Amino acid sequence: MMEPTALSNLLGAPSQARSRAAVMHELRRLLPAYEGSCREGLHKILPFDLAAVDSHLEGGLARGAFHEVVPEMQAALPAAFGFIAAFLARISSPFPLVFVLPVYTERRHGRLSGHGLNALGLDPTRLIVIETAHRKDTLWAIAEALRSTAPTAVAGMIDKLDLKTSQKLQLAAGDAGLPLLLLRPAPTLEASAAATRWRIGTAEAARDRFGLYARPRWHLHLERARNGRPGEWVVEYDHVAHRFSLAATLADPAFSRGASDGAAGQRVLQAGRS
Amino acid sequence: MAPRAKESCKPVDPERPFVLVIAGAGGPRIAALNEAAEAAGLAVGEPLADARAKADVLQVRAVDAAADDAALRRLALWATRYTPTASPLCGDFWSEDNGADGVFLDVEGASHLFGGEESLIADLAARLRRFGLAARLAVADTPGAAWAASRFHRSPLLVLPSGREAAVLADMPIAALRLSSETRTALRRLGLKTVGALIDKPRAPFAARFAAELLRRLDQALGRVDEPLVPIVAPPVYHSLHYLMEPIVTAAAVVARASRLMQNLIHVLIRDDVGARSLRLCLYRVDGAVETIDIGLTAPTRSIAHVARLIELKLEALAAMEDAGFGFEAVGLAVIHAEPMPARQIELTPSHPSPASGGGSGWGHGDRAERCAALIDTLRQRLGPASVRRFAPVASHLPERAEILPLVDGEVSTWPASQQARPLLLLPRAEPAEVTALVPDGPPRRFSWRGTTYDVAGSQGPERIGAEWWRAPHLSAHSRESGKPALGPRLRGDERRENAFTRDYYLVEDLAGHRFWLYREGLYGRETAAARWFVQGLFA
Repeated sequence: MMEPTALSNLLGAPSQARSRAAVMHELRRLLPAYEGSCREGLHKILPFDLAAVDSHLEGGLARGAFHEVVPEMQAALPAAFGFIAAFLARISSPFPLVFVLPVYTERRHGRLSGHGLNALGLDPTRLIVIETAHRKDTLWAIAEALRSTAPTAVAGMIDKLDLKTSQKLQLAAGDAGLPLLLLRPAPTLEASAAATRWRIGTAEAARDRFGLYARPRWHLHLERARNGRPGEWVVEYDHVAHRFSLAATLADPAFSRGASDGAAGQRVLQAGRS
Repeated sequence: MAPRAKESCKPVDPERPFVLVIAGAGGPRIAALNEAAEAAGLAVGEPLADARAKADVLQVRAVDAAADDAALRRLALWATRYTPTASPLCGDFWSEDNGADGVFLDVEGASHLFGGEESLIADLAARLRRFGLAARLAVADTPGAAWAASRFHRSPLLVLPSGREAAVLADMPIAALRLSSETRTALRRLGLKTVGALIDKPRAPFAARFAAELLRRLDQALGRVDEPLVPIVAPPVYHSLHYLMEPIVTAAAVVARASRLMQNLIHVLIRDDVGARSLRLCLYRVDGAVETIDIGLTAPTRSIAHVARLIELKLEALAAMEDAGFGFEAVGLAVIHAEPMPARQIELTPSHPSPASGGGSGWGHGDRAERCAALIDTLRQRLGPASVRRFAPVASHLPERAEILPLVDGEVSTWPASQQARPLLLLPRAEPAEVTALVPDGPPRRFSWRGTTYDVAGSQGPERIGAEWWRAPHLSAHSRESGKPALGPRLRGDERRENAFTRDYYLVEDLAGHRFWLYREGLYGRETAAARWFVQGLFA
C-alpha cells in the first residue's frame, strides 16, 4: 500500500520533467490500491504472452478479478467459449477448474464436450462441471467456488447480470485471488463491474499446408479494461503449445480467398495500428 | 455353521445336493456341503469332478472366504453375550478341508451366570438352531481339546470333565490336533493314525523330525502350554447424543449443537486415525418424531467447521426448521461410514494467500486439495449430488457416446490423446439441416440450419464413422438411460435405423468464420438413396 502522500508527491512534482506517460503509468499502478480492491491476488497477472495484447493490459489479465466474455453475436458463442477454454488451458495447476454451466442453456447452445476441450489443449479431467438449474444457483455456485479459494479458476455462463451482482462477483474474485471468467451468451451492453470485457468474434481458422484446419482464430475486442486500454486483435491459438499469436496476414490461404480477404486483412491492419 | 454361498443368478434349492467348492490341487474341491449332498455320498475334500459323477444334479458355488469371515465375525460378536472373550477362527485356518468354521468362547468365570457349563451350551445350541445353524459344541479346559471334541467326538454337545483331555483325545485321529496338511501326511506315512499314538511317546524324535507345530499343538490340547485367545473387538461406534435442558427451535442452535457433538467425536476419530465419509444427524422432536439429515463427503474429514456448514446448507434446503413444532429435545450425530485418514503435516507456508479474514471460510491454513473436496461437498449438499460432475472418456467412435459425465468420486481417468477435430459444443441432439452439395456424396456447399443459411467457404472431411453394429439398439437405448444421459444427441424413436447408418462428418467453415460439424447419414447409393444431413456440433 502506498501512503496518500506518495500520490501528492507524484502529482506535485512536475519540475522533475517526468513525462506524461510515466505519470500515467504510475497512476495506473496506484489506482487499484485506492479503489480498495487491492488484494494480494490482484497483482498477480495472467499474461497472454503476446506483446500486443499484454501492453494494453499492464502485462496481462489480473488473476484475482472478474472478466466478462461476450460473443460479438449469437453465432459467435462457440468462439467465445473457445477463448475461455484456451485461456484457462494456459494456466497450469494441479487443482481443478470449476465450470458452472446452467442446464437450461444446453438446449440452445449445445453442451460442452470433453473431446472438444481436449482439442483446445484443455485436459477435460481437470474440470469440475457444476450444472445449475437456475440463475440463483449459478451465482451461488460461483460465489461458493471463489470463497473456497480451492480451484485454479472459475468459469461459467450466465445470461443476466446486473451491476450490483457483478460488483459482488468482482469483490469475491478479488478476495479469493482467483480469475473468474464469465460468458454472457447474448450480446450485451449492460454496465458491469468486470475488470475487463472481451467481445469475441469469429475469424477464419488458420490452415496448415495440407489445407486442414489447424488453429482456430478469434477476433478479440477488448471493450473495456479497468486500468488498461481497449484494443482489437485477430489472434490464433495453438492448442499444442498453448500459445496465442497474432494472426499472420500473408501467405495464408484463409486470407487469400476472395470475398473475406478484405475484411480480415483490414482487421489485422487495424490491430497493427492500435 | 455353513459358509455362505456367493451370490449367484440362480437361487439354491436346499433340498437338493449343494456344495461349495474351493480351488485346490488338481481342480476345484468341495469345501462345504449340505445334508442332501452328504446323503448322496459326497464328502468334504472330494474333487468336484468326482462329486458331479456321484450326484446327478449338483448345485455348485464358489467359496466366498471374505463373506465367511464376515459372517463368522458377526457371530463371534453376537456370542459376546455369553462372555467378553470370543475369538473367531478366521483367515489363517483356511485350507482345503478345514474351513474357518468356529468360534472359541472363553467361558471361564462366565458359565455360572447361565447356570453352569451344561446349561450354557444347551442354551447356545438352542439359539444357534433358531438361527438355522447346525452347530457342534464342546466345553473343555483347553481350546485345543474343545476344538478336537467339537469336531471328532460322537456327541454334538459335550462337556469334557477336567483332566480327561488325554483320555478323550487318545481315540481321535491326528487331524484333531489342528495340524498342517504336510505334518498330517508325514504322520500318516509313519503309521501314526490317532492322537493316542503320540501322547506319552518320547518327545525328542518328534521334535527332531517334525516342525515345532506338532508338539506345540499337542501340548496346547493337553494344557501343558498356555494358548492365549485373541478376543474379537467390536468395531467402534462413533456416535454422540445430547439431551437438551430446553428444546431448541432455530437452525443456528441446531448447527451449534451439532458442532459440539462433532467436537466430541473428533477425539475418537483422531485416536483411530479415521475421518468421517458420511454422517447422520438425528433431531428428536418433543412430540416424538425424528428428523434425520444425511451428509455425504467426498473425502474423509474431521473438520468441525466443514460439517457444521454442510448441516447448515441442508437445513436451509430442507426447511426442517419450519415444522420443528415445540422444538428438538435431543440431537444425535453418528458417523455412518469412517475411512482411514492418516495424520498429515500442516503446511508451514500456505501455498496460496489465505482469504481475507472477513469472508474467511475457516480453511485459511488447510490444504488446498482438502478445500477442493470441501467445495465439492458444499456444492453437492446444496445443488444435489447429481449436479457436480467430471468428464470421463468412453471408448466409442460415436461422438455422442464418446464421453460421459460421471459424478465426482475422487478417481480421475486419463484422457486419450486424439488428433481428430472435435467440436467444443455438442448439440443435445443432432439437428437436421438443409444441405446443397455439388455431388450427393461430396462436401456441403451451402446449408441452412435453425433458419439461417450459411455459405460454405471451406470444409474438411469426410471423417467416416460407422455404426456400432455390435450394439443392439435396445441395449444402447438402455445404457443411455441408465448412465449419464443427455451428453450427445438423443436419437429419435427410429433408433435402429439411425444406428445402422454410417456417418460422414465434415468440418465446415462459413464465410464469416463460424465452424460447424455436419454429418451426412447413410452412404449414398449403398445405404440410402437420399442422405440426410445433421448439424451435431459447433467448433470454437
